[in-house]
Amino acid sequence: MGKLLEMNNFFKNIIIGLFSVRSNLTRVILTASGLTIGIFTVSIVSAAVSSIDKEFAKSMDYYGNDKVYVGTWPWSFDFDWWKYRNRPKIEESSLEYITQYSEYITDVSIKKNTWTRATYGNKASWLQLNGVYPSYQDMLSGTKIENGRFFSQNEWDLQRRVIIVGGTVREGFFQGKDPIGKKIRLNNVTFEIIGELKKQGIGMVPGGTLDNLVILPSTTFERILTRWGYDELVLQTNPQDIPLAKEEVGMIMRVARKIPPGDDDNFAVNSADAYMEQFNTMKSAIAGMGFLVTGISLVVSAIGIMNVMFVSVRERTREIGLRKAMGATNFNILTQFLSEAVAIAIIGGSVGIALIRLTVFGLASFPIPNFNGATLPISFDLLLVFYTFTVCVFIGILAGLIPARTAANLNPIDALRDE
Amino acid sequence: MAKSKKEIISIKSVSKIYNLGETVVKALDNVSLSIYDNDYISIMGPSGSGKSTLMNIIGCLDVPTKGKYKFKNELISEMDDNQLANIRNEKIGFVFQTFNLLPKLNAMQNVEVPLIYSSLGRKERLERAEEALHIVGLQDRMTHKPNELSGGQRQRVAIARALVNKPSIILADEPTGNLDSKSGNEILKFFSKLHKDGNTIIMVTHEESVAKLSKRRIDIFDGKIVRDE
Repeated sequence: MGKLLEMNNFFKNIIIGLFSVRSNLTRVILTASGLTIGIFTVSIVSAAVSSIDKEFAKSMDYYGNDKVYVGTWPWSFDFDWWKYRNRPKIEESSLEYITQYSEYITDVSIKKNTWTRATYGNKASWLQLNGVYPSYQDMLSGTKIENGRFFSQNEWDLQRRVIIVGGTVREGFFQGKDPIGKKIRLNNVTFEIIGELKKQGIGMVPGGTLDNLVILPSTTFERILTRWGYDELVLQTNPQDIPLAKEEVGMIMRVARKIPPGDDDNFAVNSADAYMEQFNTMKSAIAGMGFLVTGISLVVSAIGIMNVMFVSVRERTREIGLRKAMGATNFNILTQFLSEAVAIAIIGGSVGIALIRLTVFGLASFPIPNFNGATLPISFDLLLVFYTFTVCVFIGILAGLIPARTAANLNPIDALRDE
Repeated sequence: MAKSKKEIISIKSVSKIYNLGETVVKALDNVSLSIYDNDYISIMGPSGSGKSTLMNIIGCLDVPTKGKYKFKNELISEMDDNQLANIRNEKIGFVFQTFNLLPKLNAMQNVEVPLIYSSLGRKERLERAEEALHIVGLQDRMTHKPNELSGGQRQRVAIARALVNKPSIILADEPTGNLDSKSGNEILKFFSKLHKDGNTIIMVTHEESVAKLSKRRIDIFDGKIVRDE
């Protein structure tokens, strides 16, 4: 019973605190706006980071977690162009060494890359071309053939002009109609569409979208599309063997290229996990900056709330004196002013959440056209609301503690005499 | 006459000393005093005489430096802040010269303030506040804010607030000081009525005419009681 009464008392003081918020609404809103901005930015930053994460993971599917790539350039965000530009091109012949000597590689394919102009009727678009082996059908990652079929060994042998297209071709060229059997021109050569890949949406990695992709036999590629481009070796392994496979492939490549011991590699063995590592560094940098800025804005808004609370205590010194004379304990007064500070913080946070809500809503209603219909990836969930309130209560208590203590420790006689 | 009555307050050899850096001020010097049930006391004295200090100590807003203060056999002089707050809440009603009403609350809410710090439920609080406003004759002004009331009415709200906890004593600090003589007289009549109804009233004043209405008069000078009759 006694506990219950104490709780009752506690809530009564909170209500008194809330009342004084209501009577100073303008001041409260102005003070709270600092926190609104803080909460808004922290949400945007965390939403952005988690969305980048998601999109990146999707892009990484394109490379697969069970593949090793051999190319001229390492997959890295800080590559040194001068160091790599004079490296020799990747030779298809290296694949023979790898199939012959490797323990970990189960399947191989060349991947010849280029970009070219594709036309259909009066429509034109730039598409990414991959010239591959028939075995690449089983090595496709992050997508699958949704419609039609892959090219056959026979078609590869005969250098047939058949292609498998990505998800955007359907809308771009055929108004959403089935593209199978249709003929489009790549680099002014007519190709027949025999297969279609599942549509993926936007990707984050350079070349990491599968939707603008065209897959064709590498033999055809070599015969017809002799423009600039670069080759890569795609090597299939098991996800758990990636590190060993990379080491092994590196050694085989050195032998194939007859690189003397002590000389640097003149090729790069890549895999998605290395990219992931690079990406994680970048992501932490973005998150770090974002949270630093947010942290500063939260500290500044806490100082703002503290300042307003000091003003509030100063203004209401007589009220404090009176309440104490009427029997308010120090704890009563402390609770009253703390709840006022927390209320200001929560008002700021709530407006911040409302702003985020509006932003999400706004972005959802206006999809960005060039992103293949995808909306800007900001998610909004209850957990965010919960975190926001936790942060607000914490900041409110932090900012209110010193002013509330000042108020609670006032001597009632002096406080009543205050003019 | 007072001997037969029940003693509420017992002050024995109480001193209050303020240490203001270099100088030491003896605001109260070895004061002893007994206050009985249904007393109507006026404390008089020039400014700086120590009457406010005595008032603060009686009102449990302050504790003496030396001596013993007992309120209904409870030793006030040894209490901590929380215990003092409880005593003030349960046993003492304050009436101030400047009314000290909270401007944003209406009459009813102002009267309710002391009850908020008691353990009463909401329903009972409202009943008590209404009852107290009835006693001071402001039952039709309950939702008015202080700035919508006259000076006399404001002081009556303040008296209702002092009565609402059914205190053992009512402490009034110059209750007519901020009022015109007509409203002042009304308030004084009201105090006489409260006294007749059995309340114990202690009033600080410097007006002879006000002091005359009380039943017992205490004069203070230089921190000492110089007259008590």
